[in-house]
Amino acid sequence: MNKGKIVSIHSFRGGTGKSNTTANLAAQVAMAGKRVGVVDTDIQSPGIHVLFGLDENKMGKTMNDFLHGKATIREIGFSIGDHSSGGEGRAKLAGKNLWLFPSSIRGREISQILKEGIDFNLLNEGLQKTITEFDLDYLFIDTHPGLNEETLLSIATSDILIIILRPDNQDLQGTSVTVDIARSLDVPNLLLMVNKALPKYDFAELKKEIEDKFNAPVTGILPLSFDLADNASNDLFSLRFPDHDWSKALRGVAEAVLAVE
Amino acid sequence: MKSDVLNQLQKTTIFKNVSDDVLAEVAVKASTRKLAKDEILMRKGEKGDSLFLIHDGWVKIVTVDSKGDELIINKCGPGEMIGEMALLDGIPRSATVIALSDAEVLELKQDVFEEILKQRADVSLAIIRSYSERLRFSTTYIEKAIDWSQKTAEGDYSFAEQAQPLINSAGSDDDKAAQLLSAFFAMVRKVKEREDGLKQQLEKLTFEIDQARRKQEFEEITGTEFYANLKEQARALRQKRAQG
Repeated sequence: MNKGKIVSIHSFRGGTGKSNTTANLAAQVAMAGKRVGVVDTDIQSPGIHVLFGLDENKMGKTMNDFLHGKATIREIGFSIGDHSSGGEGRAKLAGKNLWLFPSSIRGREISQILKEGIDFNLLNEGLQKTITEFDLDYLFIDTHPGLNEETLLSIATSDILIIILRPDNQDLQGTSVTVDIARSLDVPNLLLMVNKALPKYDFAELKKEIEDKFNAPVTGILPLSFDLADNASNDLFSLRFPDHDWSKALRGVAEAVLAVE
Repeated sequence: MKSDVLNQLQKTTIFKNVSDDVLAEVAVKASTRKLAKDEILMRKGEKGDSLFLIHDGWVKIVTVDSKGDELIINKCGPGEMIGEMALLDGIPRSATVIALSDAEVLELKQDVFEEILKQRADVSLAIIRSYSERLRFSTTYIEKAIDWSQKTAEGDYSFAEQAQPLINSAGSDDDKAAQLLSAFFAMVRKVKEREDGLKQQLEKLTFEIDQARRKQEFEEITGTEFYANLKEQARALRQKRAQG
């Protein structure tokens, strides 16, 4: 009954490349033949819908409407496999089983979720229903940075939590708190991913040091890349440039997700 | 052919400042020599008493390395001048020159050259001026090279990132200076790359987590009623999922 896994992607601070990573991970898992959904709850720019080439003006009802019973999940799900134009990387998703479930576009609406009393059970039922209706193998949630109540709900319902961090003291400090919270909420699979690592560092050493500090696996260290920054908001980088070091490391993270039982 | 030769003579250091009418006279007094492929134009150690302007074909400038094998120093083609210094300093040839193909060269003998200098003070002055320019040009490079060497020794490679202003301002006619500069910059880039590579191998990131702050932040988040409820609900959910 409950076959699809909920994968939350989180970072303690903004600017870690979280949305970009989420979109690319979801795309890679879909490329592996899985049925994948992506819920976008981090509405801050550039927005995951942009990466999938979805025009926000064309987005009607959102995940919030569904959770409040104002729309069916079928009305929300936007098939990327059927609308994969407008990017060399995105075009590779044609025919794949990948759906985007937009959250609210406007910042004001996101606070509604709390004001109108979405609780844990309601969110969880909504997500489970999404998985069942679309027969998903994985439902990715691009969460808000920080640890607000909405994000805590997402973490609590996750089967897999991926924490993205940059190799700097502030991100590592914040990540330590998120790791403690994830353990406190019994998240069964905790994966770390380092992004924007300067190539001058010894990646193997870095991996070891972070794993030792948090006692959790580092599934990939992705290099800081100007190529990526150049392209980031326009297309799915790992599909467009599959031989790039960043793309190779990202596929390693996707494989780690696929390997979770 | 003569206007061609004039054109080529004007491009050489030695005749750069000499007027056209004098060059026409020089060109007339020069003799043409045809070379068959593999023919030797000059030998290392011979007395140098003429210069050659290549009109057609290619020659190689060779010497012998320590093992006795031929070592090609350079190849020269149409418009290039060989042995011009010998007209002024008379020092023996420093290398052997052999035709790579059938070739045609223009030869100007030292006595013809000196005859022109005796008759025309303005030509002498023009030639002195050319060499003076060249000397100044070379001195500038030497000064720069000393400066760059010191910077390189101190690990400051910033100058190699900048454009190469000397080539542009001092005139691109001096190919040898351009080659020197280019070789120098290539060397600096290689040294820098190697050094960066070594640094990369060595650099290791170390960080510390403030455990008191970690604990405090954790308690702030988990100390609410919201969190207590959530934890309870999450636990129930996990149990339910585990039972399948």
